[in-house]
Amino acid sequence: MPDEILVSKNLEENIDTIKDILKDCDDIVYRDFKAGIEQKLSLAIVYTDGLIDKDLISSFALEPLMIYAREVEPNPKSFKNNLFELITKGNIAVSEIKEVDTINEAVEAILVGETALLIDKYDKIVILSSRGWPTRSINEPQTETVIRGPRDGFTETLKFNTTLIRRRIRDPKLKLKNFQVGRRSKTDVALMYIEDIANEKILNEVKERIQKVDVDAITDSSILEYFIEDNYLSPFPQIENTERPDSVAASLYEGRIAIVVDNSPFVLVVPATMGSLLQSSEDYYSRWPIASIARLVRYVSALIAVLAPSLYVAITSFHPGLLPTQLAYYVAASRANVPFPAIVEAFLMEITIELLREAGTRISGPIGTTIGIVGGLIIGQAAVDAGIVSPLMIIIVAVTTIASFGLPSYEFASGLRFYRFLIMIFSAIVGLYGVVLGLILMLTQLAKLTSFGVPFTAPYSGLGIKEGELKDVVVRVPIQWMRRRPAFTMPKDKKRMK
Amino acid sequence: MDKDPKISNFQLRALIITTIIGTGILSLPNSVARELNNDGWIAILISGLISISVVVLLNKLTRLYPRKTYFEFGKEIIPAPLFNIISIITIAYFLVILAFEVRIFAEVMRAYLLEVTPTEFIIITMLLVTVYIARSDISTLGRMAVMIVPLIIIVTVIIVFAVLPKIDFTNVLPLLRIDLKALPKAIFPTVFSYIGYEIIFVAMASVDEPNKSLGYCVRGIIFVMAIYLLTFFITLSEFGIHELKRQVWPSITLMREVDLPGFFIENIDAIIMALWILVIFGTMGPIMYASGVALSKVFNTKKHDFFILPLVPIIYLLSLIPENLSKTYMYAGKTLNYFAIFATFIFPLGLYIISLLKRKGKGGKA
Repeated sequence: MPDEILVSKNLEENIDTIKDILKDCDDIVYRDFKAGIEQKLSLAIVYTDGLIDKDLISSFALEPLMIYAREVEPNPKSFKNNLFELITKGNIAVSEIKEVDTINEAVEAILVGETALLIDKYDKIVILSSRGWPTRSINEPQTETVIRGPRDGFTETLKFNTTLIRRRIRDPKLKLKNFQVGRRSKTDVALMYIEDIANEKILNEVKERIQKVDVDAITDSSILEYFIEDNYLSPFPQIENTERPDSVAASLYEGRIAIVVDNSPFVLVVPATMGSLLQSSEDYYSRWPIASIARLVRYVSALIAVLAPSLYVAITSFHPGLLPTQLAYYVAASRANVPFPAIVEAFLMEITIELLREAGTRISGPIGTTIGIVGGLIIGQAAVDAGIVSPLMIIIVAVTTIASFGLPSYEFASGLRFYRFLIMIFSAIVGLYGVVLGLILMLTQLAKLTSFGVPFTAPYSGLGIKEGELKDVVVRVPIQWMRRRPAFTMPKDKKRMK
Repeated sequence: MDKDPKISNFQLRALIITTIIGTGILSLPNSVARELNNDGWIAILISGLISISVVVLLNKLTRLYPRKTYFEFGKEIIPAPLFNIISIITIAYFLVILAFEVRIFAEVMRAYLLEVTPTEFIIITMLLVTVYIARSDISTLGRMAVMIVPLIIIVTVIIVFAVLPKIDFTNVLPLLRIDLKALPKAIFPTVFSYIGYEIIFVAMASVDEPNKSLGYCVRGIIFVMAIYLLTFFITLSEFGIHELKRQVWPSITLMREVDLPGFFIENIDAIIMALWILVIFGTMGPIMYASGVALSKVFNTKKHDFFILPLVPIIYLLSLIPENLSKTYMYAGKTLNYFAIFATFIFPLGLYIISLLKRKGKGGKA
């Protein structure tokens, strides 16, 4: 952007300046017209085609100005000072209106979807709030479906998303702070938190980091996530994202902070911990014994997702003595026809699964299902028949993949996937010792991670363990027993129930 | 946000536990049984009590200088060049511990898990993995320790329950036929199995509530003592005194005898060995970190991380000095115990007395 250009008193000049700035932008509409009895007063509106609600502008701004305003005395001198008031209070029935001094601000507003009203002989531009662009309606989230629980999900429009959250927290202490991020994209980012619960230090850190982001465009909340997280080199996410307003609301009540990014249906929630990434909102909507079992199953699936293929490689090629004798015979027999070492076999199948996963996500719908069937069933069976892999390997790889999809956070599961491959390589070199070495590297990485200063491994690693936090992390005890908010958010108001 | 990392007392306790429990637990039942027969537990108990008193001393000393590590405030008590000598002796002591731990570890790995892999390879990979955590800060170590402690408990519980039906408690008898002359000889090497509490030197500086830390430190040692006593009694009851005296690592032999009925895994020992690698890692990480911190204080640098990697070749060479296992134990017995007495008892005690006298002097003036 060039330096600030002040609005001049000449309408033509202003229009020319705007046209100059928005040169070759054919979606900008300029409409000039006259008002007053003698049609002496010239006015103009400028807006971006498609971004505004045209009905609103024509019936509540143009119509009053062009038709009813004829009754107004057309002497600019007499209402020089109160023209703005006259027009805005008297003629225009748009709910939100403001006045700007510079052309730059006006241009910015036009690009956002506001309408600029220029008045001759008046050195201010009136901005009429008229945003109204095509949006996707509120649908059920695609990724975090629940059997019981609310079915609305976030969309790409920031205002809808903040509304969905606000609807769940009717508390004047729920605050919303707006930011603009991106030098060119000027993406709206809204910070939401409950003032008397959320920890101030974390909140200030979040604000500071968002303000520090210097990039030309934020196209999705994930881009912002990568800019503000503690360690961007880590394979693990340190910020939670969700499509579910109920989950965000629950997080806000825990004292966490939500970051809503325009154009993204994924709302970021900070701070995040490993425990919170392994929780699903449905845990709280189903009965506690069932939810607790689901939690435990998730831990098992995390373990399987990381370790299963490497344990297979380690045991078959280094420590066959570990298996019960009969199973060891079977494993040996089933591997007898396979010409490759276990690691090659494992990588072959893992790569196949990765290919299927990629293909499946690129092409969803009926063809995606076909790919799944062709890949999973036919290739798997054929690979065994052809003697390329052993049937046991197919089981291992299939269970691993299912286990990694069993985790609520896709990003976290991807982090585990990264270490799965690393540990597989280690296990091929030194067997079980390698598996543990890889595990140590992963645990170290996890222990090192923090999310806005909060240890990522809380409460397993200390913070909150004495308060009995594991009751809502490893299992899910009845809601009545969770009288305190989790300690990792360091809430100002510690108690949920008095 | 707090820029300098903090740990809680809970994490400090875990850190003390994981740092102490390492390779010592493998040979401890054997070494005390050789000296004191069935009454080896007395040596474990007494040396535990000695360790507690040393820990109390270290705790008191470090609390005199809040927010500072031993290697920083030492320079305030006595002239810096003089204290640097103490620092360097302590660092050498740490390096010897590391070398010993990693060597024993490699020997165990070769004996039970990886028969053909060269010792050198096991040593170097283990050291490199340890470097990763030693380069990070104390809070990472604290968190890791909290995650490792349950593993120690799980391993112990599995072994105890699996062995329980088979063991013969009459093997424990006869009790209390103490050979008083042998007692000091037995206690001396047993105290050595409690080394690791030196982590207090650096960890106390980052504890968020140092005033409450004493109880946690003491309870940490008591926990270790309980684990050691349990190991001793279980191995003694399982093997009987005569066999116990012949086992180099009775704890591992015990694991190999464990047979879980109907379990998917036939020999649970490999799994327990695998978990035990994490326990060794829990010992080496903090000590390597402490040596890095000590070095950074000697050279007055803010960060400690770039001192860690250069330590690896030194530890590697040190660990390869003994030709075989028995030599390793012999050399360690000759060096480590004396090092330990100086580095963890005599120097800190001297510093404590001097600093108390100094404070008194100041108090008198004021």
